[in-house]
Amino acid sequence: MKYLIFAAISAILAVHTAVAADKKLTISVYSFAQDAYKEALYDPFEAICDCELVIETGNSVERMAKIEANAAKPVIDMAVISSHDALALARKGLLQNLDVSKLSSYNDLYEAAKNPLGENWAVGYTFYASSIVYRSDLIQINSWKDLLSPELAGRVALPNITGTQGPLTLFMLSKALGHQGYGFEETIDSIGARADDIVTFYVRSSQLAQLMNQEEVIAAPVGRFAWSSFAKSPLPFVWANPQEGQTGGMNVMIMTKGNGNEELAYQFMDYWLSVESQTRIANAKIDSPANKKVQVSDEVAVSLTYGAELIDSLNIISPADIIDNREGWVERWNTKVIK
Amino acid sequence: MLALPAVLFTATLFLLPVLVLLSEGFKVDEAWSLQGYADFISKPLNQTVFFRTLKLGFLVAGVSAVIGYATAFSIFHLPSKHRGRIFGLVVLPLMISPVARTYAWIVILGRTGIVNDAIVGLGLSDTPIRLLFTETAVFLGLLQLFMPLMIISLISAMENLPNDAVAAARVLGANWLQVFLKVILPLTKEGLVIGGTLVFTGSLTAYITPAILGGAKVLMLETLLYQRVNVANDFVSAGIIATILITMSFGSNLLFKRIATARK
Repeated sequence: MKYLIFAAISAILAVHTAVAADKKLTISVYSFAQDAYKEALYDPFEAICDCELVIETGNSVERMAKIEANAAKPVIDMAVISSHDALALARKGLLQNLDVSKLSSYNDLYEAAKNPLGENWAVGYTFYASSIVYRSDLIQINSWKDLLSPELAGRVALPNITGTQGPLTLFMLSKALGHQGYGFEETIDSIGARADDIVTFYVRSSQLAQLMNQEEVIAAPVGRFAWSSFAKSPLPFVWANPQEGQTGGMNVMIMTKGNGNEELAYQFMDYWLSVESQTRIANAKIDSPANKKVQVSDEVAVSLTYGAELIDSLNIISPADIIDNREGWVERWNTKVIK
Repeated sequence: MLALPAVLFTATLFLLPVLVLLSEGFKVDEAWSLQGYADFISKPLNQTVFFRTLKLGFLVAGVSAVIGYATAFSIFHLPSKHRGRIFGLVVLPLMISPVARTYAWIVILGRTGIVNDAIVGLGLSDTPIRLLFTETAVFLGLLQLFMPLMIISLISAMENLPNDAVAAARVLGANWLQVFLKVILPLTKEGLVIGGTLVFTGSLTAYITPAILGGAKVLMLETLLYQRVNVANDFVSAGIIATILITMSFGSNLLFKRIATARK
């Protein structure tokens, strides 16, 4: 009899082990800082979930294309993506509404992160501020429109319209120049008229850091996440506080519709949003926290978009305005600026 | 028969995907159509990018040919014990990553780089001039990237040049220009065709150099293709651009052969 019980227990354990080994969560993330993310988030989660995280990386277009191509049978369970790209996926019916009651940290999030797209399509996990970095020994920046001033002719770079920072810069330049609406026609035309004065339309913040450290460029709009590249430079770079304010954005977590792995996905999302994980990620200076209970030192905070006051003050263009107008911006940009 | 596995392998894993990509350009709403090409060609930006790519391709190939002939001829006439070393110096850049070589140009052509230091130092300009993110920068980067291929092709072709051909022409009263046009060029035209095709095709299809040294301000077909795929997920335009690039590559080979034949 005892052999029978032993055999039964062994069989149950074997099945349990096999099930545990089979627990997999496929997530789609931005490709940056993956080593740091592994240490701060993936490894600790795998240690407590008894599961395997399958990490898929790439740029937004590639990752969105994969989600769309596999809509009938999702190969991605959960993804992190910009809020406007998330809205584009939601409009195509590729996402499921989140059951926020399964996220124990939900009430600890900043208000702006709780339901950024409506209908609980997504939940914000990080914010980023964007402003202008400039050489304080050569120029003073008081307004976004200073980017197009004669003093900066031949020494300024702007983000290309195709990147995340491009629309944000257009948004703030429009505000500074007093232009109305989200078509940005007049603003794009103003940039086009001064295109020869602009050194380049950069694509990556790392490229901009090199150009500014090489003294090719002395002022440019950039995301706060890249500030550490400038802060450690021997050159006197300053983060501007323009009179129109700073701009910024948010990246969000989404879940694909009908992936069949919802419980594990919620567990992972909740872990990512927890004070514990968000603090570790913030201290590693990877991403700024969306959980308002996270506390970091002043030294860490300066590299992040941190604190209710800063986050509430950001000028954020709505995801709907971005995806409704983006095609028109690119078309006009190619006609008037790139020529 | 023995080649069948290799043929199947290439057809399945290379030709088929390429054909699928290229076919995207001939479809509109899943129906076969040339409308995509008409739309693509009608856009002024695409026209500018096309002619810029063509111009830089020919310019790089042409200047490579001029410098390449002088270099190859000099190397060919070196004593054999030095020839190998100098030839090694020509080949050496090909062993260095194009990314590293292109980034070097950012330093060289920058406001505080050696070229601007010389320009300001010689009094040619009061302030540094902008060289980066211009067609000049892309041209220099592509020239440095691909000129070794022209030199190698020409040195190889000069191996077929009879030892006394140049001397005989000189004895018969030909000046150096006549020696080049009537003796060297006809006898090395195969090298010129191969080198010209390699350099022109390489310039058309290089991505890293135009992306780093030209950026969004000096778009070329290959950087436009990347933008259409990776930013806009627009595989129709990507298929059209790829078809144009492949056609230009084959066309260049035919053109160079024609030029070489015409000089016969």
